[in-house]
Amino acid sequence: MDTVWGNAAQYSEVYWGWPIAVYLFLAGLSAGALMTALLVKWIEGNETQPWDGLIKAGALLSPPTIMLGLALLIVDLSRPTAFYQLMIHYQLTSVMSIGVVLLIVYTPLSLLFSAGIFKKILSSHDFSAAWFKPLVPFLNRFEKIRSIEGIMFAFAIGIAIYTGFLLSALVAKPLLNVAVLPLLFLVSSLSAGIAANILLGLTVFRSTVAKDNLKFLLALDLRVIPFEMFILFLLFAGLYFHGGSYVAVADAALTAGIWAKVFWIGVVGMGLLLPVAIAVTSLHGHVYKLQTVLLNSALALAGVLLLRLYILYAGQIFG
Amino acid sequence: MTEKRYGMVYDSNKCIGCQSCNVACRAENKVPDGVSRLQVWIEGPRGKFPNLTMDFHRQSCVMCEKAPCVPVCPTGASYINKDGVAMVDIKKCVGCKYCIVACPYQARFVNPQTGAADKCTFCYESRVVQGMKPACVSACPTNALTFGDLNDSKSEVRVVLGKQYTVKPKEHLGTKPKLRTIPNWRGGEV
Repeated sequence: MDTVWGNAAQYSEVYWGWPIAVYLFLAGLSAGALMTALLVKWIEGNETQPWDGLIKAGALLSPPTIMLGLALLIVDLSRPTAFYQLMIHYQLTSVMSIGVVLLIVYTPLSLLFSAGIFKKILSSHDFSAAWFKPLVPFLNRFEKIRSIEGIMFAFAIGIAIYTGFLLSALVAKPLLNVAVLPLLFLVSSLSAGIAANILLGLTVFRSTVAKDNLKFLLALDLRVIPFEMFILFLLFAGLYFHGGSYVAVADAALTAGIWAKVFWIGVVGMGLLLPVAIAVTSLHGHVYKLQTVLLNSALALAGVLLLRLYILYAGQIFG
Repeated sequence: MTEKRYGMVYDSNKCIGCQSCNVACRAENKVPDGVSRLQVWIEGPRGKFPNLTMDFHRQSCVMCEKAPCVPVCPTGASYINKDGVAMVDIKKCVGCKYCIVACPYQARFVNPQTGAADKCTFCYESRVVQGMKPACVSACPTNALTFGDLNDSKSEVRVVLGKQYTVKPKEHLGTKPKLRTIPNWRGGEV
């Protein structure tokens, strides 16, 4: 319909699109992979070399995912060449600015963890020895800090949680302005990390994955995923009990259009129910089929990505 | 403390939806094609012929005192100046669009020429500091817009606020808008 007041496209535009959703996913994945690797590393017997394949998987995943995510974030700015302003001016009322602070610490920490795990390979192979060897004394100094892994874990939690606060700080968006969103993102980040470490561990580092460690992660995932479902239930129950316009938003988000389908089929069906069903029916006992474990992890990982896309788009569209 | 507290009253009963304000704003602020700082949305008609009425809505920044767009800005590019006007410092803006998604009034957009967030400024730099009224107020043919200092009890805007019932848009959000609306009292509902 023609209007006399001009182009109204700006009033229905979704300003935070898929690059932001993929960033939220990658940041959570990086943090989750690091947390998972540390959880495995802290099991008695795993603290020293040779590292378990599941630890190596996390070390290999964590730095590139966060850096790719950050690249996406910068490219998505409408003034990408001004991005350095984020590092000059800080405003701690802004969750985004707090995120910058966390990322400035977290990204080097994830690289440090990775370098520590792959220290032996990197200092012995021709392609890396030349530049890596001079860094080893520096790396050793860091590894001597007793609480460094605890700090890494804490910052990983910080990264996963801040991506939730980034959205829950939006006062006028009922689906996003909910208290459980940071917890939802933390829990689903951990789930993504577990899935990704298993996926990469069993394909790239298969010979070094110990059965008990795999079992530990599969069992952990079977607790994390139901908890994630419970948080999603809390989120929508909260909207319905809030009443008024919140009910309309919850109705729309759960029933209207493509995003409701993404939620029920993708997030809940594929990403939460199916992995639990597979885990309960075929991943107990002592014999796992490799393909089943890989499928299970791939589904959970895809579900986490779809959750970020759904929350971001539905949160902006229905408001 | 702010020296002035600029505010505006929009009388939707005097408004005829002519878009003079919209056009004056575009000309004054060189707003690029395809985007707007200000539009007047016409809703209706309501009622039964021949007793029909239109509803008019001024779509622009409402100049919140507790503006959600300001604390979310990671660089301080989004700020409220000393006279209570919400502004964007283009040099500091990285174009993260956080302020745009945080605004409950859809008042902000990305300026396609600068890449920065853009919005109504009450024509602060080009007109108000020189003692003129915003372009939309000067252009309005029916005097539907009243502008002035809310701290000054003798200002035109305070006189109107003293006499008329006004509404703060989305008041429940606690944003304390300084743009008030005189809602439709002409009826039209059947």
